[in-house]
Formats: sequence, C-alpha cells, structure tokens
Amino acid sequence: MTVTLDIQDLTIGYSKHTPLFEQINAQLGSRKVTGLLGPNGIGKSTLLKTLAGLIPPLKGSIQPAVREKNGNLCAFVSSQPPRAAYFSVRDTVSTGRYRYTNWLGIENQEGKQMVSKVMELTGIAHLADRNSADLSDGEFQRVAIARALVQDTPLIILDEPTAFLDIANKRAMGLLLRKLAAEENKGILFSTHDLSLAMEHCDLFWIMTPDGILHQGTPAEMEQNGIIKRLY
Amino acid sequence: MKRLWLPLLLLLFMIADIFLGSVRLPAAEVWSALLSEESSDFVYKIVWNFRIPKMITALLAGMALSVCGVQMQTLFRNPLADPYVLGISSGAGLGVAFFVMGTSLFGIQALIPWLSDLGTAAFAWIGALSVMLLIVAASKRLKSNMTLLILGVMIGSAGSALIGLIQYFSNAPALKSYILWTMGSFGNVTGNRLLIMSGLCLTGLLISVFNIKDLNVLLMGEQYARNLGINISWVRNRIFVATTLLAGSVTAFCGPIGFIGIAVPHISRMIFNNANHRIMIPASALTGSCMMILADIISQLPGSQRVVPVNTVTALMGIPVIIYVIFKNRAVEL
Repeated sequence: MTVTLDIQDLTIGYSKHTPLFEQINAQLGSRKVTGLLGPNGIGKSTLLKTLAGLIPPLKGSIQPAVREKNGNLCAFVSSQPPRAAYFSVRDTVSTGRYRYTNWLGIENQEGKQMVSKVMELTGIAHLADRNSADLSDGEFQRVAIARALVQDTPLIILDEPTAFLDIANKRAMGLLLRKLAAEENKGILFSTHDLSLAMEHCDLFWIMTPDGILHQGTPAEMEQNGIIKRLY
Repeated sequence: MKRLWLPLLLLLFMIADIFLGSVRLPAAEVWSALLSEESSDFVYKIVWNFRIPKMITALLAGMALSVCGVQMQTLFRNPLADPYVLGISSGAGLGVAFFVMGTSLFGIQALIPWLSDLGTAAFAWIGALSVMLLIVAASKRLKSNMTLLILGVMIGSAGSALIGLIQYFSNAPALKSYILWTMGSFGNVTGNRLLIMSGLCLTGLLISVFNIKDLNVLLMGEQYARNLGINISWVRNRIFVATTLLAGSVTAFCGPIGFIGIAVPHISRMIFNNANHRIMIPASALTGSCMMILADIISQLPGSQRVVPVNTVTALMGIPVIIYVIFKNRAVEL
C-alpha cells in the first residue's frame, strides 16, 4: 500500500481546552477504501475535516501536511452538499476544476474532456444539462463525488455519503467508491453508521471507541477481536 | 445570442427615455436635436443637458444595483439579500441626514447649490463605506453568513433610529430636502457628477467580473470553496469592495433606490434559466438597466406635467416580482 497520508500524534477538536480525540496515529493509502465508524459525537466529522484541511489540527502532524489553502491533496464531500439552483450538472462538476481553469472559470479542451470522462465514470453523463436543484439526493451525491474527482487529488474524504440515500443508492455508492479506489488509484476515507454497507465495501476500518482509541484493521479482524461489538 | 430581444428592448427603452418626458417635445425636434441638426435651443438643451444624462444615469444605476444584488444573494446564499438588507443604504441615508440636517442645525448653509449636491453625495458615500467597513470587520469574527445578515439588519435599524433623531431636531426646509433625497432621482446627475459616478460604477462592475469564478463556487457553500483552496476572506472582501462601489455610488448620487437589487437577479434567472455568474452578471446588468430605464420613463408620467419619485415606481415594479419568487420558487430555500 502506498501511503498518501501519515498521521502522527494528532489531536483534533475546536478548542485546545476541550480536545475531542487525542493521540491519533494512522495511515491512509491509495487504492484502499477505509470506513470510519464510531458513535455520534465522538469526532468522526471533526477528524475528516481536519484531515481535509478544513479545520486546523490542535496537535500532531499530518504528512504530507494539508494546508488550508491547498486543495490538491484531498477532496472533501459532505453528506448533504448545498446545491446551486439553476446551475447545470456539468457546470457544477466543472467548478471542481477551480485551480486549473482560467480567471473566468472556463475550461481548456483537456479539462472539458476530463469533466466528461468523470461524469461518465460516476454515471451522471445523462444528467449533464439538468438543473442541480431538480436532482434526487442519490443523483446529487454522485454529482458531488464527480466534482471531488475532477479536483484530481490522490485522496477523497466523504462525510457520511450515504446518510440520505435509500438502500439501492447506498449499495450503488459503495460500488462506486470501490471502483474509484481500484480503477482510479484513489485513497478513500468515509464515515458511516451503516455497518453492513461498510462490511461489504471497505478494505479497512477505522473505529473510534469512547475510551479514546482509534482501532485499525480489516473488517474481519475487527469482528474477530470484538471491536465492532463494542459499537453497539 | 439566443436572447437578442433583451438588448433590443434596452435600446428601445433608451430611445423612448430620450423622447418621452414630463415636458412634451415634438419627436421630430428631439430627433434633429439628437443629430445636432437645426433645432431650437430649448429642445437641444433639454435633450443633451437633461434627458441623455438622466438616461445614462438610469442605465448605470440599473446595472450597478442589479450586479450588486447578484453578488449579495450569492455571498449570503439568501435570495432576499441585497445592498439594502445589509444596511448600506441606511449608512448612506445617515450620512446624508448628517449633512443635510446637520448643517442647517449648526446654522451653516451650503449656499452654492453644486457644493451642497456634492456634499450630499460625499456624505452618502462615506456613510455607505463606514457600514461596509464595519461589516467587513465583523465578518472576520462571525462564522456564518446568516449572523452577518442579522448584523446588517440591526445596523440598518440603528441607522433609521439615528435618522429619526436627527429629523426630530431639524428644521422644515432641511427635512424637506432630506425627504426629497430619499425619494430618488436621476435628474440631478449631470456633468462632472455623472463622470464621477460612471467611474465608480465601472470600477465596481470590473471588479465584479473578476469575482465571477469565485462567486460560482461560493454558490455551492463555503466549505466546498475552502476545500478547493479558495481564500474566503479575500473573496469576501473583494465582493464587499465591489458592492460598496456599486450600491454606495448609486445611492450617493441618485438616492436610495430599492427593490431593483433584489428583484432583477430573480428576473434574470427566470429569463436565462442559468445561475452561472458568467451568464448572471451580464444578464443582470442588462435586465437591471432595462428595468431602471423603464422605471424612469414611468416616473416621468409622459404626457402629464407631473413627475413621481422613481423610488415609488421601482418599489411597485419590484415587490410583485419578489412576492412571485417567494410563492413560486421551490428551488429557493430560506
């Protein structure tokens, strides 16, 4: 596994006096789908946002350091991304190319091809000219992932990407994430409360338990050593 | 260009605005005055010194307020945001109140008319700018745009309260000239004043064009913008500078003209069916100038000797649009 993110002694939270989770040591690799599990309020979202560079870490290091102004290591997808009404799906995806487009946000030929290719890959090519506001939650979650993909980052972090999806769309999302890891060499980290979905599609688990430990291992290992049971 | 009818409509309104007015002039004479042919001095002066500058002012004001409104609505992700909601117009109003009523209060009379006009404009601009600076300073401490919007509303109310206080202590003529300013007018902006206003508005429009790329991303939320590596406070400040230049200048020279800033972006979205700012900025400029010139034509009540305040006309044109948007638009979430 090629390590793309090396986390050392990381402490996360919004204030130094009340850290949410301390002493996190972990690694994220390419071509792997990692599922982040843990009870509500333990700091899953905070960890994901810290790794994505949206919140500064309280202590410790994330190598290669994700700086706030640097969007090219890690793309972030939230569980219900705000939509822009009257904005076409193609234009929405195209905004992900921010750092590559010109001052007016216009794509070059290469960029246009990449946007089309990614829309094909995520199964939204047929929606290209639709108004983003008219899509279903499942469809727009795919648009958000396409938008993250065109950022061309080695890592994609998703905060509860299946929270608002029905069973069929959840399964499709899991398959899509696996495909992106396998075919596009992406490292993928996502949080979820859906254990069966995570068991089916993840290569690795990160489980945050209330005793303040981040457990790592394959789903099978986690089941064997009883960590998963402690979640419920 | 699929929507060629819109620029054609604008051209039609521009011409109509020159031919129609509260003083009835024969069309043939206006035409020859326009072509600088033989025409009476009276008609020539009305056309070139009054109606054309007034038409250009309305054109600029329509563009400026609409482009300002688009950026406010995107920045605050709120379909009802506009320069006025943020308290900019109250700031301008307070500045004017200080100047108009304050000078009379201290027994100072601005004897030279152009000095008092320019003073009004300058104080309006200072007022608008102060509110903007206050909001920029506060925006660094406030996390969400919604709190910023509430702050704007509070500043607006505080401004109105102070204006009320000044009004209570001022004399009748000063009060009248203040009230006249609040009604809005394009007729006073000629010569150098028009040049200054054009310069400020065009600078604001130019900055707005450079904001297009970031505005598109902001439409999809600040978290996404930060993830793309955008420096949010820099973008916000650029939008604030552009909107102050646009709304502040128009308010300073023409008085507080409401509802164009809110309504026009919605009309443009309905006409062009596209919220991409590459479309929205020019589309709103076009729609806004159309609406403003139409409002000016209506306010002149062609054929009658009377003129109604342009502010009344824009309110009556804008409010139905806003109500329509609130009831009809399922895509708009407050």
